[in-house]
Amino acid sequence: MRKTRSHVWENYVSVGEVTAPHGIHGELRVYPTTDFPDRLLARTTVWVDGLEGPQEIMSVKPRPPLVIMQLRSVATREQAEMLRGASLYVPIDSLPALGEGEYYWFELEGLEVRDASSKAPIGILSKIIRAGGNQDVFEVAREGMPPLLVPALKSVVARVDLPQNVMEVDLPPGLEDLS
Amino acid sequence: MSRSTKKGPYVDAKLLKKIETMNAKNDKRVLKTWARACTVIPDMVGHTIGIHDGRRHVPIYITEEMVGHKLGEFAPTRTFKGHGDKAERSTALK
Repeated sequence: MRKTRSHVWENYVSVGEVTAPHGIHGELRVYPTTDFPDRLLARTTVWVDGLEGPQEIMSVKPRPPLVIMQLRSVATREQAEMLRGASLYVPIDSLPALGEGEYYWFELEGLEVRDASSKAPIGILSKIIRAGGNQDVFEVAREGMPPLLVPALKSVVARVDLPQNVMEVDLPPGLEDLS
Repeated sequence: MSRSTKKGPYVDAKLLKKIETMNAKNDKRVLKTWARACTVIPDMVGHTIGIHDGRRHVPIYITEEMVGHKLGEFAPTRTFKGHGDKAERSTALK
């Protein structure tokens, strides 16, 4: 299993990982690492760590939880074996815009979190935790204090200003006592 | 094996008392609990409960769909660190 990346994928997001070759004609078993596996089925090109440039997708078949993908440049099982563990990427600017109140994780990570009423800085949104029940929790790193966990709720997140790199939160009573 | 129907669902007595007191006062303070085995009951809907994951309390907003499940189901005890890449994941504010 490959552990290192061939280079830094700065302006790309990962959408899947090659888990194994499939069959003898160079098909790949890909584990989607995306919240939108349907988008993977509709794509015509993908960038693969270890291969130069965009790779044309000849076919994608859903085999939940995996997808079976055939790339034009990978025609044999031996070539597919070389890609075991490789990540698949797509450019960030190719991602469709989300609806109101929806954000990609890479947009939110690194935002400065402020109190909505006093505008006082609380910390930096360092991580997003996917809890059960289809709920996400924001981990806010604070200087000299343990991280604060903030639920991703409309009642808590008052405003998200991506151009200004700011998120304003209205912390419910008792939330700060959790950390 | 499931719990006996005669006994009914397990609900942590201390947590239940706090929830009932808060409901009477219409208070929405975030509660802390270690009772991961406690079943979610309709009285808890609308409250945010900090469920212990073994390390810290994860604030979870209780919705109607969670009723009947255990609190521990909503605070995973293991964290996948990921591969360090940006992923195509998104959050929708509920």
